[in-house]
Amino acid sequence: MSARLNIISFALKNLKRKIIRTLLLLLAVTVVTGTLFSATLFISSMQNALKIGTYRLGADVLVVPEKYASEARSALLAGEPTSFYMDKSILERVKKVEGVKRASPQLFVKPSSFTCCYNVDVFLVAFDPETDFTITPWLTKNLKKSLVGNEIITGREVPVVPGDTIPFFGTAFKVAGTMEPTGMKFFDHSVFMTMDAAYKMAEDSKTKSMQPISIEKDKISAVLVQVQEGFTPDRAAIRIEHDIDGVKAIASDEVISTVRKQLGGLLKGILAVSAVVWVLALLMIGFAFSMIVNERQRELGLLRSMGAKKGHIFRLIIAEAVIISVSGGIVGLIAGSTLLFTFKGLILHSLKLPYLMPSATVLIELVAGAIFFSLLTGLLSSLMPAISASKMEPYEAIRKGE
Amino acid sequence: MIEVKDLTKTYTIDGQALKAVDKVSFAVGKGEMVSIIGHSGSGKTTLLSLIGGLTKPDSGQVMIDGINLWSMNDDCLSEFRNKKINFIYQFSSLIPTLTTIENVMLPTAFGNYSEDIEGYARELIRVVGLEDKMNSYPSHLSGGQQRRVAIARAFINSPEIVLADEPTGDLDEDTEKEVIQLFHRMNEEKGITFIVVTHNKEIANQAKKQFKMTNGILSAI
Ligand SMILES: Nc1ncnc2c1ncn2[C@@H]1O[C@H](COP(=O)(O)OP(=O)(O)O)[C@@H](O)[C@H]1O
Ligand SMILES: [Mg+2]
Repeated sequence: MSARLNIISFALKNLKRKIIRTLLLLLAVTVVTGTLFSATLFISSMQNALKIGTYRLGADVLVVPEKYASEARSALLAGEPTSFYMDKSILERVKKVEGVKRASPQLFVKPSSFTCCYNVDVFLVAFDPETDFTITPWLTKNLKKSLVGNEIITGREVPVVPGDTIPFFGTAFKVAGTMEPTGMKFFDHSVFMTMDAAYKMAEDSKTKSMQPISIEKDKISAVLVQVQEGFTPDRAAIRIEHDIDGVKAIASDEVISTVRKQLGGLLKGILAVSAVVWVLALLMIGFAFSMIVNERQRELGLLRSMGAKKGHIFRLIIAEAVIISVSGGIVGLIAGSTLLFTFKGLILHSLKLPYLMPSATVLIELVAGAIFFSLLTGLLSSLMPAISASKMEPYEAIRKGE
Repeated sequence: MIEVKDLTKTYTIDGQALKAVDKVSFAVGKGEMVSIIGHSGSGKTTLLSLIGGLTKPDSGQVMIDGINLWSMNDDCLSEFRNKKINFIYQFSSLIPTLTTIENVMLPTAFGNYSEDIEGYARELIRVVGLEDKMNSYPSHLSGGQQRRVAIARAFINSPEIVLADEPTGDLDEDTEKEVIQLFHRMNEEKGITFIVVTHNKEIANQAKKQFKMTNGILSAI
């Protein structure tokens, strides 16, 4: 054991002296950093899922039967399986609307049951390979081929791997690929097949399945629209609704941006409350450190008489505060993420919103931000006490503290 | 060489000016041992603090080796204290969170000291007879033992000047004698200059120069 002392080990010894007070201060930083970190992580995860979801959807406007507008919205946001149909002629009419660049039909089928072995909600989505612009780019990029016959691709949450065969309505489908997770159930729980395969499945279900479905050849569920440059999705949506009776045109970024705005508002609210709590924590730590300096002024004066410079005293006080605040911050990070992961499912279930952890870079930034924030907390709160401690005249400090 | 010229320090207590140190002038040569006696409240501690640069005089000068203490900036003065001066206080002056060895080595935390300083610290602790209390905390030491730790600490930085404020206050007679012997040895072998404030006539008489402090005024005896 070396008896040599440095500022950090000396600061640690001082903190141990009044362990209860140290722990209380640490707890204050834990609460503030933990709340801030987990709230920011949670909300940015939801925003991230929405962002990736919009990107994956690849469509600016979703045209659905007017009556099913709210089902379509919740299908998109919460991935709740649904099926509804409208006439195929709508596709041609949508294509003619001003501002529409491309339009492609999709068919949504809610399976009555998946298979006996899996109990995951799945959602069947059929697309038209001829006109599709949402799934096909992914296929070209990742599988380097298009789907033929009874091939399907599945979302990440569907418990199958490429090469597996799974039956729907009596028809066996072969898994050709799985998509990367998006956090949105609409994609992660979906099974994508071609329109032709879907119509054939429906046709065959009459003879092959115990629970047949009927989808007529001239029915589709939705038309996905990409708008021309110079048109906003909102404007195109209004035109579509104006030109075609009985449809609802949902601008996807409108659905998503509304939710994102609400989340942004929620985040701001949490940040505002945290800011107030933070200021209180700063005052509390600052006050505690004024007390600490006052209690220890004789010792600090003695250190000065032994040759400690003002800077040594300043750094000692700051070091004590920063040790408390950074440890509090780290505990807050751990506690916050633990709570978040424990209750994530519960919160998401009641919010019915998608959730996807941000990328590692964003995550590292968040963690680094939280640690920097706790460091700043220690620095700021102890600045005044540290300055006044270093300014004390040694003899006065020694005498007064007697 | 310490030269004190017209040193004055005034405190205002309840609106009344009190000259704790009143135009004190004297000189101490290198390697000398001087003693100061005087009633309590006569200004002895204040005078030592002024000489050690712990408090600023209202007027007058403290010159050490020709350098005016108060012409230095605070960092230089701190370094000066760290390298050249050491104090023994009249009251307990140990840091409660540090062990004997850590307390003795504390001054070396504020300057550059060689690696084997720990060996010297252990030797000093042996000299004051506390080798079995090396890793004890002050709360586990008697008043006299704490005082001896402080005395060991006073030599850790190989100071040129030791300012001792009633250093044998709570020591028994035998230990007191040993401490005085230690002071004389350090004075003779290492040429350390001592200014010792004491109540003990015997100690006072052993010093080459003897002073008495009365109401802030210093006079030779
Ligand atoms: N920092 C101070 N503030 C106010 N009065 C002081 C201060 N330091 C010393 N004094 C006063 O100066 C006088 C001398 O004190 P001191 O030097 O401690 O005397 P001694 O050490 O001889 O007992 C005392 O009356 C004391 O009350
Ligand atoms: Mg005194």
